[in-house]
Amino acid sequence: MHGRVKVKTSAEQAETKRKEREKKLKLYQVASAAAASKRANGEFDKEALEITQNILEQNPDIASLWNFRREILLFWEKDRQEEVQEVLSLELPFLESCLRVNPKSYGAWHHRAWVLVHAKHTDWAKELRLCGAFLQKDERNFHCWDHRRFVVQHAGIPDTDELEYTSQLISTNFSNYSAWHYRSCLLPRIYPDPEQKGRVAEDQLLKEYELAQNAFFTDPSDQSAWFYHRWLLGRAEIEDAITCVYVSKPLQTVLVSFSKPVNLRNEEDEAVLFVDSRPFPSKWQVPDKRSTFSHVWVCKLPPGLLEGETLQHCLHVSWKDGRLKKECLLYPGSKESWCQDSATDQKLFSLELSIEKSSVLRAEMDSCRQLLDLEPENKWCLLTCILLSRVLDPLGHASKTLTWFKKLLAVDPLRTGYYKDLRSKYQVEDGLLCMEYAETRVLHLARKELTSLFHLDLMVLVTHLDVSGNCLHVLPLAMSCLQCLQVLHADDNEIEDIEGVRNLPVLQDVCLKNNRLAHLSQLQPLTSCCRLVSVELGGNLVENLPDFYTHLHELLTHTRPV
Amino acid sequence: MTEYLRMSGVYWGITAMDLTGSLTRMDRESILEFMRHCQHDCGGIGASQGHDPHLLYTLSAVQILTLFDNLNTIDLEKVVEYIRSLQQKDGSFAGDKWGEVDTRFSFCAVATLALLGRLDAIRMEEAVTFVLSCMNFDGGFGCRPGSESHAGQVYCCVGFLTIVGRLHLVNADLLGWWLCERQLPSGGLNGRPEKLPDVCYSWWVLASLRMLGRLCWIDSKRLRTFILACQDEETGGFADRPGDVVDLFHTLFGLAGLSLLGETQLKPVNPVLCLPEETIQRLGLHLQLLN
Ligand SMILES: [Zn+2]
Repeated sequence: MHGRVKVKTSAEQAETKRKEREKKLKLYQVASAAAASKRANGEFDKEALEITQNILEQNPDIASLWNFRREILLFWEKDRQEEVQEVLSLELPFLESCLRVNPKSYGAWHHRAWVLVHAKHTDWAKELRLCGAFLQKDERNFHCWDHRRFVVQHAGIPDTDELEYTSQLISTNFSNYSAWHYRSCLLPRIYPDPEQKGRVAEDQLLKEYELAQNAFFTDPSDQSAWFYHRWLLGRAEIEDAITCVYVSKPLQTVLVSFSKPVNLRNEEDEAVLFVDSRPFPSKWQVPDKRSTFSHVWVCKLPPGLLEGETLQHCLHVSWKDGRLKKECLLYPGSKESWCQDSATDQKLFSLELSIEKSSVLRAEMDSCRQLLDLEPENKWCLLTCILLSRVLDPLGHASKTLTWFKKLLAVDPLRTGYYKDLRSKYQVEDGLLCMEYAETRVLHLARKELTSLFHLDLMVLVTHLDVSGNCLHVLPLAMSCLQCLQVLHADDNEIEDIEGVRNLPVLQDVCLKNNRLAHLSQLQPLTSCCRLVSVELGGNLVENLPDFYTHLHELLTHTRPV
Repeated sequence: MTEYLRMSGVYWGITAMDLTGSLTRMDRESILEFMRHCQHDCGGIGASQGHDPHLLYTLSAVQILTLFDNLNTIDLEKVVEYIRSLQQKDGSFAGDKWGEVDTRFSFCAVATLALLGRLDAIRMEEAVTFVLSCMNFDGGFGCRPGSESHAGQVYCCVGFLTIVGRLHLVNADLLGWWLCERQLPSGGLNGRPEKLPDVCYSWWVLASLRMLGRLCWIDSKRLRTFILACQDEETGGFADRPGDVVDLFHTLFGLAGLSLLGETQLKPVNPVLCLPEETIQRLGLHLQLLN
C-alpha cells in the first residue's frame, strides 16, 4: 500500500499484467485452500509446513499462516522434539529471507522472536549481529530496533554496550533519530540522577549537551539533535504536592489546588479537610462541574462553621495518608485567607541550576548565538536560543526572546500556530512572575499577542485579570480555576466562546467589548455567575440583534449589564 | 489476496462511503452476512472466514456494526470476554493468543469496549500504566516500552488516554511540537522525523493534534492541498503520495483528514474512533478532548 507508483500502461501491457496477476492469484488460491484443508483436517505434517512457507515467502503478512506453523511445531513438541528443533533452526534463514524482501512485516518479526525463544540452543550473539546488519541497511527500521531490544534483553547485553553502539551510529550519522531515542532510554538507567527520577546525573548530562552541540554544529538543519537537546533541557516529572489552600468566609468554601490534575473521588487519592483539628466530612467538587481530574477542588462548608468574629480558625488539608499536607489560618475578623507555594520557589518556569550546569548552559547560549550569526534563518537555533534563555533568566531575556519569536514566525510559517502559542505561554509565565514579585492578585496580560491562555491552574488567587488587546478566540473551560476572579477585562480580542466564565462565583465585572460574539446563546455561560454587576458587550455583532438589551436582561435577570 | 485483512478493508470502505453520505449505496445485507461467519468460539473476530481472530479485526467489525446500528449481529458478551482474556499481567494487550504485545492493541481493546459501553470489563489502572510506560523523551509513544515514537502509535496512545479519560497525563505541549514538526514543505505530514509525507499520517497526526486541542499548530491550507493532490483523477481514490497507486486505506484516511480540516462536503468525523461524529453521538459516547 505504500510507495507504489501508478504507471500509465498501454492496453496491451495492461492485459499482460492482468494475466500475470491472475496466474499468481490462481497459485495463491490453490495453495491457501490446501493449507486451510490441512489445518481443518488436523494434518500437521511436513507438507503443511512447505505449503505455508511457499505462500509466506510471497506475503509474510498473512498472520493465520504463521499461527498454523506454530501450531504444527507445538503439536510435534510432544513426541518429535528433535524434528521441532531442526525445523526451528531452518525457520531462521527462511525468516531472514522473508524479512530481506519485507523488512517491515509485523508477522515475520513476531514469528522470529517466537522461534528464538522456543529453540533450545539460540545463538543470541549471532542474532544481535543480524540486527546490526539489518540496521545498517535501514538505520530507522523500528521493527528491527524493537527486535534488537528483545535480543539484548535475552542475551543479557549490558546497557553500556548498547550506549556505545548508539555513540558509534551517531558519530557516523548525526541524523539517526532512532539512535538518539535509544540513548534517551539508556542514559537514565546507566547514570540515574539520584534526586530526579527518570533524569540523567549531572556530569553525564553535561557530556550529552556537548554531544548534541557537536551534532547541530555539524549539520544545523538536522532535527534529531535539536529534539534531543530539548529533552536534555527538560525537567524532572512534577511531584505530587498541594500547592495552595484557600478559604473564603463569605462564600463558605475551601479551595485546594494540586501540582497536577488529581481525582479526589478516587479512594486512594482522597483528601481530608480538618477544620480546627476536627476532620470535616468534605464533598470535593471540581470548579467546571465536568472533569474527572482537576488541578483545583472546592468544598462547601456548612453555615456557621467559621462563625465567631473573635475566633481564629485553622484549615488543614491532608492528602496521600498524611504524607502531603498544607494548612492556612483564618485570623479573627478576616474574610479570607490562603497559603500558597510561590512559582519562583518551586522553579516552575526554570531549571534547577548548579554552578556547573549554569556555566555550561551559558556557554551553550553563547555558541548558539554565534551559530545564529552564521545562520540567521535557522529555526532550530532560534528556538533553542529561546529555550535556553527561558531556562537561564526568563525576565532578563524577555525582549530578546520576542525578537527571536518574530524571526521564527518569519522563517517557519508552517508552524505559526505553535510559535504563537508558545510565545503566549511564556508571556503568561512572565506575567505570573511579575505578579508574584509585586505581591498582588492582579494579573496584567493585556496586549501581549496572546493566542491561548496557559497555566490557569496557577491563577486560583487572582482577583483581577486583564487579557484585553490579544488574539484570543476562546475563554477556555479551564478558566473555572479562577475561583477568586472578580474583574475580567477581555476587550479587543476575537472571542467567540466564553465557556470559561461559567461557574466563577465572585465574578462582578466583565468587559468583552469588540469581540466576535454574535448570538445570544454564546452569552449563556454568564448566567451562572451569580454576583455579576456589569457586562460590557459593545462592538460585538450580538449588539445589533433586534431588542438585544431586552433579551440580555431576560437572560441575566440578576445583573445590570451596561 | 487481501482476505487476510478484509474486515479492516470493509471498515475503511464503508466509513469512507458514510463520510461522503453514500452509505446506502453499500450492500448492507451481504456485509452483515459476511460478518456472521467471522466470529470464532473464543469471541474474537477474524479478517474473513478461515482467518484467525485478532483484536485488529475485532475492532473493525465492531466499528462496522456500529455504523450499521446492528451490533447484535455478533455475540457481544463473547467479544468482551475475548478482549478481557488478552490483557496481560502488566496491563498491556496481546493482539491475539500468540502474544504479540503492542500499544495498538491497547487502543483496539478500549476502543471496542467503549463502542460496546463495557470499559469496566478490563483492569483499567494497569492498562493506563502500561501505555504510559511507552511514553518517550519527545513526548510521543511507541509500540512497547523503549520503542521509538511513531505518529500511528501516538494516535493509538492519545486515543487510548482520551477514551479512558486520562488525557491530562500527556505532555501536550511537547508532543504537540513533535507532531506539528511532521509537516513538510509540501504541506504533507510524515510519521517520524526524516521520513516522507504520507496521506495516512494526515489522519494519525491530525487526529492526535485535534484530541490535544492543538489542530491550529499545523498549516491546514497546505495540508489540504497535499491531500487533494493525492486523489487520483481517474478513480477518485487516494494514494499515500501524489502519483502512487490508490487504495481503500489511504482513501478513508485522506477523507477523514479533510473532514477534520473542516471540509463541508463531508460529514464531521470523530477524531478518536474514526467514525462519523453523528454515529458517536447516537451512541451517547462522551469523549473529552483538550481545549
Ligand atoms: Zn500511508
